[in-house]
Amino acid sequence: MRRTLLELSPQDAVFGHFEAVGGYALAARRAMHTFRTGPETWKHIAVGQRRWANLTAEAAMHDQPMTFEDYDLSPWVVEPLRRADCCLITDGGRAVVITSAERARDLKQPPVLIMGMGQHNPASGVHQATHLAGPTGAKKSAETALNMAGITLADIDACEIYDCFTYTVEITLQDYGFFGPGEGEDWFKGGTIEPGGSMPVNTSGGMLSEAYYMGLTPLSEAAMQLMGRCGQRQLGPKTHTKPPEIILCSDNGAILQTHSCAILRRS
Amino acid sequence: MEHYKKPLPCVDDDTREFWNGCKEHQLRFQKCKACGHIRWPASPICPSCLSKDTTWLAASGKGRIYTFAVYHVAFHPGFKDDLPYIVADIALEEGPRLVSNIVECPLDKVKCDLPVVVAWEDINEEFALPKFRPASSA
Repeated sequence: MRRTLLELSPQDAVFGHFEAVGGYALAARRAMHTFRTGPETWKHIAVGQRRWANLTAEAAMHDQPMTFEDYDLSPWVVEPLRRADCCLITDGGRAVVITSAERARDLKQPPVLIMGMGQHNPASGVHQATHLAGPTGAKKSAETALNMAGITLADIDACEIYDCFTYTVEITLQDYGFFGPGEGEDWFKGGTIEPGGSMPVNTSGGMLSEAYYMGLTPLSEAAMQLMGRCGQRQLGPKTHTKPPEIILCSDNGAILQTHSCAILRRS
Repeated sequence: MEHYKKPLPCVDDDTREFWNGCKEHQLRFQKCKACGHIRWPASPICPSCLSKDTTWLAASGKGRIYTFAVYHVAFHPGFKDDLPYIVADIALEEGPRLVSNIVECPLDKVKCDLPVVVAWEDINEEFALPKFRPASSA
């Protein structure tokens, strides 16, 4: 691991800078300078997702509840990010089978349809990037995907967001347009993304609290939710949430350098 | 000089002039002769206009903290004794941004946009590192 870090960015290693947590810490700090955000916003994401993990038997953090106090006591890794802001490192895998709607009709599980997709890649490395506090590639990705799907944000029932760090969830939802810059804390407050909330996010616990399967954690969870295969954490009456018709998923790469977005619909 | 335990710069054809400059305590960056863009990291072509026509310019060593992060974990054992230490992305007066460290500054005084100046650290016979300290303590 150390060798990989050194090889990836030898000039940074000279100064003790190692991505990814270091890179996202730089991005998160710039965001704190640019608009109202910080641990008071991110704690709602860490704690909210953990509540979903507590309903998910397979989640790495299933048996470990997290309170706001636990979040505040979580040790710094690279400030402003605490351990509770960082995704897990796990072994494992996820897969989705993609085929035509026609062929999927005969399969055992009810298919989930892809309504729209979008990608945008600002591409500059973290050191030269001017998009660290948004808009990231998320903005144009979502515009493209929503256009393709012919829907608006108001039609989205839940989100499965690539959550390498808590800040990634905030900036992604902000760039998608769920709230304006600096309004995240108020939006997240009161359990918006949790079981029983009005916009469930990362309903298995996500990569912060379930498992890190890269972009497949959000994508496979969205598909499973729309198929109704999620047991105790199933969106709908069981979790006091809206039965999901449409779920928005995201993925992003490097330090907010690349972004993709997919909108899935129940068949 | 006590044995240096941290990673050393990797010098290649692109970065040789930069590290030679550092050794002489001068920050040097490539300037595109076609469009005037001053760039870092070093590269054979200008990222702004794709010209290969390049000269090197001596920078003032003055800039501002664009953003920073405080390391509380040593991902390389060479940094263990420095914890907590500050990595910052410095926006230099001339335009390029350079990842480095903030030195001679209490943690609670570090903030985005703080004016800083280069503070050279000679690490061995071969290399000096451009680190930065608050301009006000100059």
